[in-house]
Amino acid sequence: MHPLAWFLWIAAAALVPLATRNPLYLVIDFAVTCVVADAVRGQLPQGPLPAFVSPVRFGLFAVPAGALFNVLTSHVGEAVFLRLPDAIPLIGGPLTVESLVYGAINGLILATLFSAFAVLTLAVPVRDLIAYLPRAFYPIAVVSAIAATFVPSSLRQFQQVREAQAIRGYRMRGLRDWLPLFMPVLIGGLERALQLAEAMTARGFASDESGEQASKRNGGRTVVSQLVLTGGLLCVLAGGVMRLLPQGSAVSLPLLLAGSLATAWVVWRVGSQVRYTRYRRPVWAGIDSAVAVLSVLAVIPLLVLAHDYSPYPRLSPPAFDLRVGIAFLGLLVPGLRGTGPLGSGPLGSGGDRRCPSGHSPELGTIGHSGEQHDHV
Amino acid sequence: MITCERVSFRYPDAAQPALSDVSFTVSEGDFVVVVGPSGAGKSTLLRSLNGLVPHFTGGTFSGRLVVDGFEPVAVGPQRMCRHVGFVFQDPEAQFVMDRVEDEIAFALENAAMAPQEMRSRVEEVLGLLELASLRGRTLATLSGGEKQRVAIAAALALRPRVLVLDEPTSQLDPQSAEDVLTAVARLNVEAGLTIVLAEHRLERVLSFANRVIFVPGGAAPVIAGSPREVVASIALAPPVSKLGKALGWSPLPVTLEEAQPFVAGSLPEILGGVSSGTLTAPIPASDAGHASSATYLVAESLDVAYTGQRVVSDVSLTLSRGEVTVLMGRNGAGKSTLLKSLVGLVRPERGRVRLDGRDITAAPVAEICRDVAYLPQDPNALLFAETVVEELHITLRNHGIALSAAPVPPEVLLGRLGLADKVAAYPRDLSVGERQRVALAAIMVTEPGVLLLDEPTRGLDYEAKARLADLIRQARDARLAVLLVTHDVELAAAVADRVVLMGDGRIVAQGDPYTVLAGSTGFATQIARLFPGAGWLTVEDALKALKP
Repeated sequence: MHPLAWFLWIAAAALVPLATRNPLYLVIDFAVTCVVADAVRGQLPQGPLPAFVSPVRFGLFAVPAGALFNVLTSHVGEAVFLRLPDAIPLIGGPLTVESLVYGAINGLILATLFSAFAVLTLAVPVRDLIAYLPRAFYPIAVVSAIAATFVPSSLRQFQQVREAQAIRGYRMRGLRDWLPLFMPVLIGGLERALQLAEAMTARGFASDESGEQASKRNGGRTVVSQLVLTGGLLCVLAGGVMRLLPQGSAVSLPLLLAGSLATAWVVWRVGSQVRYTRYRRPVWAGIDSAVAVLSVLAVIPLLVLAHDYSPYPRLSPPAFDLRVGIAFLGLLVPGLRGTGPLGSGPLGSGGDRRCPSGHSPELGTIGHSGEQHDHV
Repeated sequence: MITCERVSFRYPDAAQPALSDVSFTVSEGDFVVVVGPSGAGKSTLLRSLNGLVPHFTGGTFSGRLVVDGFEPVAVGPQRMCRHVGFVFQDPEAQFVMDRVEDEIAFALENAAMAPQEMRSRVEEVLGLLELASLRGRTLATLSGGEKQRVAIAAALALRPRVLVLDEPTSQLDPQSAEDVLTAVARLNVEAGLTIVLAEHRLERVLSFANRVIFVPGGAAPVIAGSPREVVASIALAPPVSKLGKALGWSPLPVTLEEAQPFVAGSLPEILGGVSSGTLTAPIPASDAGHASSATYLVAESLDVAYTGQRVVSDVSLTLSRGEVTVLMGRNGAGKSTLLKSLVGLVRPERGRVRLDGRDITAAPVAEICRDVAYLPQDPNALLFAETVVEELHITLRNHGIALSAAPVPPEVLLGRLGLADKVAAYPRDLSVGERQRVALAAIMVTEPGVLLLDEPTRGLDYEAKARLADLIRQARDARLAVLLVTHDVELAAAVADRVVLMGDGRIVAQGDPYTVLAGSTGFATQIARLFPGAGWLTVEDALKALKP
């Protein structure tokens, strides 16, 4: 599936817990995201799977933990079921059914958001995520992508070191015992980072050539960009400060708008000087249109028809509109079997879609499209 | 294609230069093998060809180096990548992306290549390296040999005219290594690429090379020439050349094919003198009947799963005191997992492990490892102390053994391992071979009865490997039960009393070294191939029979 279709799906799934506290809608949304997460995981290609915490397991932890935390710290509500001595700081006072329910809903919101983003992590590889960042951030984005893949390899190395120390009779007892594991992992991590940096250099990453040429070509334009960026950020700062002042609210919005536009222009301008092309551009297919439309339709009834819910001051049953509930089911589409590979990369595979020639993905260009830069 | 004139290089803060007054030339289309002991400067020399040295490393460079008409020192590695493709020892350490096609396209994306051109380049290298069927696969699912071929493809995407490879087969089983080297040789012959390849195992590469550069290290001069010229003048040599030197064969053979004419006429005669019993010994796939009074560690019907997948299936293995058992098999055959299960790092799903009759299947790792020393693939993971001797003290402390009550005094053990002068050294400053011996000392200071070694020859040169072979023989003489996992068939032939072959998680053959190694096309030594059916595996075996 196309990453943009996934982004829309995630936005819809994540909007529900942000828009309502109605536990019935939250439960449906949570269930839908769990089903999709499970389906995505099931469709991943064979091979080592990424570290994954099941959303259901997370939910089983988050809901009771949220309820417990809230019931102990928020002493609002009418249905008191226990009273702790007031002398106990923070948790002392009446414990109410309402605060318990409110806390559980908080946990459910967290679990639903977690589940939605678990789908994103599984279905869209970091590489595809960075492809949708502004071009100005390309080098940083690649480094971030590598850092993301570095985490599992560091965990593997930690495991190796832990095993190596265990075979020397090392037994973990306290926090201090972690020190001997830390040093080899740190040194090994640095060595791997150096190896990778060397390999990337040997393959022309972050070549200073295009930068040099661009700066020669652009000369004073860089100074303009810097000035505009500074001015833009100052506008944003000033607008933000003036919003806090009663008399300044009239000018704050134009200032914020102008500052944001100036900053965006600089990002675009700097990005246009970054030269790289993209090998892979995911193809938008019928299923992507279906997911996009159904994702939008899934949340419209919620925004139009649903009323928010609060268990305070006295617990009452939440309202339920069948149309809202049914609309949520549209979010199930990416979880249906037969929708084809999900995402792209090891965690999925929009890139596995072949172009009509049968053996290569559609190619895309970012930067100076179509232009070949043979520098040497 | 490459001109190197009086090149010297010193790393920052180094007391001695890594390269000293090195001169040689390489013509277009040459296949050059760079050999020499560890630390002699092979990797430094290779890295200077694309400018990583000195641009990435820092340091002082002098002399004149020209590659494909460009000076890497002046141009820098990021631009030299269009002329020199570089492949590192560990393919995984150089991967940036997660899928085959994306990895190959990475350099092209950085070069801002037009999409259509990029596509044709990717197709081209996929075809050259025969990777088309793997194009959509994630790198994590590939075998070691496939990964290395992807690394080569990625290095070739920018169509360099020189391909430099730094020990690309050191972590591969013989069959995968052969696949990679064949692919490189095809690039040399069919695409006309100039190849510069560093390698310790000469028997693997000399048949492809037309030039050899010997880097002796220190101030000694570099020797460059045809394989025959260089091999004749240095101590390093593949087994057939060693045999040729000992028997006075002229011209000196450096490959199996060159040696075969010398024995072709006399082979029936040689075979006539060999007892037929040696040649027809059956290969038992089961371990039954191997147990003896010296039996020490026994694995019974082990099933082991690792990261959710069954890796070892129904394996029974017996290790006896005073015997070296060599465990071989392709990458991913389950060898390392089997070793881990013997020391409790991975618990078997089924089966038992007994140590001297005692069931240790569920015993704590620390308790098992007091009597079962296990050297993992990366000995660096073991080392973290400030001094070499402190590493041994820590192990003793971990096991609750007072220094005065140590079964063998740490200094004595270090002396036995040839580390007497390194007692106070910082372990990570030592050479690969020395670090490995420190790790070995750290796990053997409790005087265990079993020694398990997982791929100990990684990164070792001939000398370090010979020393390792001596240490293994010493362990056998000290009545240890030794289990050695290795891809190095020559080392296996030199030390093994028994060889066990694993495939797909199961033991597929075991028996005496000759029967198992010579009977397998992938694991036969050069001497076994030269004298098929003679019952010889090593140069010493052949010389004993031919030059009594």
